[in-house]
Amino acid sequence: MDAHFRAFSFVDRITSVREGKQIRGCYTIPDELHDFPLALVGEAVGQLAAWAAMAAVNFGQRPVAGLAGSIELLHAPRPGQRLELAAAVEHVDAESVEYRGTAHVDGTPVMRLHDCVGPMMPLADFDDPQKLRARFEELCRTGAVAGTFPGLPQMTFARTGGSAGQSVSATFQVPSKAPLFADHFPRRPIFPGSLLMHLNLQLGAVLASGIPPPGKSRWVPGIIRDMKLRSFIPPGTILRLEAKLKQHSPDHASLALETRAADQVIATASLALKVGDGL
Amino acid sequence: MAAYPKIVEIIAAALPCEIERVKLEASLIDDLGAQSIDFLDIVFRLERAFKVKIPRGKIIEEARGSLSQAEFEQAGVVTPAGFERLKAFLSEVPPQRFASPLKVADIPRLFTTETFCKIVIRQQRAHPAAADAKPA
Repeated sequence: MDAHFRAFSFVDRITSVREGKQIRGCYTIPDELHDFPLALVGEAVGQLAAWAAMAAVNFGQRPVAGLAGSIELLHAPRPGQRLELAAAVEHVDAESVEYRGTAHVDGTPVMRLHDCVGPMMPLADFDDPQKLRARFEELCRTGAVAGTFPGLPQMTFARTGGSAGQSVSATFQVPSKAPLFADHFPRRPIFPGSLLMHLNLQLGAVLASGIPPPGKSRWVPGIIRDMKLRSFIPPGTILRLEAKLKQHSPDHASLALETRAADQVIATASLALKVGDGL
Repeated sequence: MAAYPKIVEIIAAALPCEIERVKLEASLIDDLGAQSIDFLDIVFRLERAFKVKIPRGKIIEEARGSLSQAEFEQAGVVTPAGFERLKAFLSEVPPQRFASPLKVADIPRLFTTETFCKIVIRQQRAHPAAADAKPA
């Protein structure tokens, strides 16, 4: 079965688009999934904003990767729940798009993205513009068939070092083949930045488990700041991940996250941990 | 140049690198390892800090000035007239950095910290209200 628009697509329906600036849509998390990582909620908001951006430039360019000023991680949605997505495009042209966005479940915010910027790249390098145009019309008119996401491939990093509560490092080999690459993107497979964020959140959780917990509570991820993906990550790439403790107080901790490939820093972010019961 | 310390801080945070490495004459790509997404990041941060609007991808267009695109570049290579125009526009860039023939795609390699200072100052002059605002 063709994995395009199925293996890594997280907008089922676009419910409104206003002047290419305000876009709303939804995505129902397939019931049969074991879980749905919070990073994929960010992917869903980003994809909704991408539809608005692509439509605004008549499907000549599309946003690919980029940076986010801050991402508030509020609640983890469960399989079967419906994400209500919204994005406000503050600027878009053939060079770049700037937007902010939110995801809600039953009126409760699960994620907020602020100050997101993505470079606009020639769409035809990544996908078939006609197919994307037709998909956009389908999403706006009737919506697409829901529940096609098959889940993520096995994503386990191998720890390589670090010291408890101070740092942790690991390697991860991006799969050479996975269904998601047929969707992200058909003409140029790229490991999604959201999945790198997922890996970094997992690594951050490992580091957090070594930081003395405040009282009887525990550390939970609060806000990702200044997340930036500086290079495309092709299938098969070996990534070196590192999380370091930057600041620590009784009710707050901040981690620096860095990803390298072939000794180049390809992604950076910081993760603020807060005291809580968990997402 | 009142904006300079803040611009240095922004560039260092965006790349990221030590603030001491962000010299006025440093090439962001060759000396500081910037990539294309970093330019977008820097411009976005400058806009927020200085409350100015910096048109995306327009630096080269501004550099072209009154020259038409065909007068400025041919098949992706900067023409001799374009080359002279660029050297005048990017007067802060040391002359030895201008290698001929110069591909249009390589123009961002010339950009220095001072290039971004000039951009901010130009935008502040174009919109004086913004110039009165203190950096955020």
